[in-house]
Amino acid sequence: MAADATVGFAGITLVLAPVVSKPTVPFGVRVPPERTAAPIIRAQRRVYACRTAPVAACSTAAAFLLPARAAWWLPRLILVLELCACLACLQLARRQIMAVKQAERWFAGHRQAVVADTGWRASPPRFPVRWLLPAFVVVAATVATGLLRYPDLPGHLTLSSGRVVPRSPARVFAPVIAQVFVTGLWTGILLIVYRARPDLDAADPSASAARYRTFLGWVARTILAFAACVDLTMLLLGLRTWQLLRLPGGVPLLPLVAGLLAIVALMIRAGQGGFRLAPAGDGGHAGRGPATADRDDDRFWKGGFLYVNRDDPALMVARRFGAGWTVNYGNPAGWLLIAAIVAPPFALSAVLAALHA
Amino acid sequence: MLLPIEPDGPVPIYQQIRDRIVEAIASGVQPAGSGLPSVRQLAVDLGVNFHTVNKGYDALRREGLLRIGRKSGAVVRRDPASGPPEDPGLIDDWAARLHTLLAEAAAQGMSAAQIMAHCEAAIAGFAFPPGGSTASAGGGRP
Repeated sequence: MAADATVGFAGITLVLAPVVSKPTVPFGVRVPPERTAAPIIRAQRRVYACRTAPVAACSTAAAFLLPARAAWWLPRLILVLELCACLACLQLARRQIMAVKQAERWFAGHRQAVVADTGWRASPPRFPVRWLLPAFVVVAATVATGLLRYPDLPGHLTLSSGRVVPRSPARVFAPVIAQVFVTGLWTGILLIVYRARPDLDAADPSASAARYRTFLGWVARTILAFAACVDLTMLLLGLRTWQLLRLPGGVPLLPLVAGLLAIVALMIRAGQGGFRLAPAGDGGHAGRGPATADRDDDRFWKGGFLYVNRDDPALMVARRFGAGWTVNYGNPAGWLLIAAIVAPPFALSAVLAALHA
Repeated sequence: MLLPIEPDGPVPIYQQIRDRIVEAIASGVQPAGSGLPSVRQLAVDLGVNFHTVNKGYDALRREGLLRIGRKSGAVVRRDPASGPPEDPGLIDDWAARLHTLLAEAAAQGMSAAQIMAHCEAAIAGFAFPPGGSTASAGGGRP
């Protein structure tokens, strides 16, 4: 069930990625502000949607129609195939736009600039600590329920996967471990994002800084609410394992799905870096001297979506294709961050397996 | 303060950082005592090498415009209201560069009146303290 939902969610985000991306980086190609509505870009938006929508629909349908007894890796294979197909569509669109951009010399006569706002560091946005409260409440409720229920549990537990296993503290409190990991992970990532550089438009730095500030606040609140939703899903799964509540198959996943939809809705409404929010920019040209554009930095974006820049000390930067942030793979600390995100679940399951061996 | 640079332009990046900060000090955007981001933070915000920003800050420190402390970060030391230059040698150096800059305009055929108009427009944008200091700024021998 969770794997099917992942295939569907990945499909939605991949089909919508060009809609939420900044207009000055369509399909990962940097273009000057006045070229964002160029015919080639509009055509490629249509082509991309026509190619990826069927891919996403078919993958999601396939994942949901799999028989319940299908191999565990089948939904994951579908997910990987879906990702590869959509990334191939991205490459096709990107190449077409790059070819026209180079042939017509879109950046000729532009000042290519990068701009820093020193005021951002002097008065940085404040992390919305209070929005951690819902997640804490859910985790505390889960711990309390587990502790109260533990003495009365039978010798064997039926996990949400349907497996029957002997009772042990690690298995009983697995939902709490997952909750702490998810909440901690997202809080940690958000804290790094708060220290990352703001995504400013060189043509319109002040207005884009204001928009980015609003965007960051909204994203942090939504992600923390999402963490609380995931924690709630874990609590519902726990209640089922602890035989306190008889819930039909997919019901515990409803908070998780609601949280994911809230994130998608926010990204569509605000756009990457908040480019759809007020105050809107003036399109860049002040009328005197050459027009300012963001630096043409395509060479640092491999395939239009992987950022590799060894000279850039940034750990995380604003994503190009889609909304949110990505790691600078040219920074060794970026690889450490990826490892810190990926390793704990594997390490945890290995420890649990060793405990029960 | 907004600090734009052109990473692929002809002027070295450290020089651009130094120039933009000097301009911000002269125009009153960064008065004496105001803070600037640490070297590390500015390097992240501009997406340039840590050493590049360090080189720009170091140039400002040698010119007596910036104080860089381990704890306090970078603080502006002087501004148009801080009185005459501490190091008279700086004026000679500046006058030599100004001579080249004005010569470029003359060589390109700009008239003396045009050159003066540009100079006056630039000076009008600087934050001189009320009363007197404009004279001392003009006293730096052409």
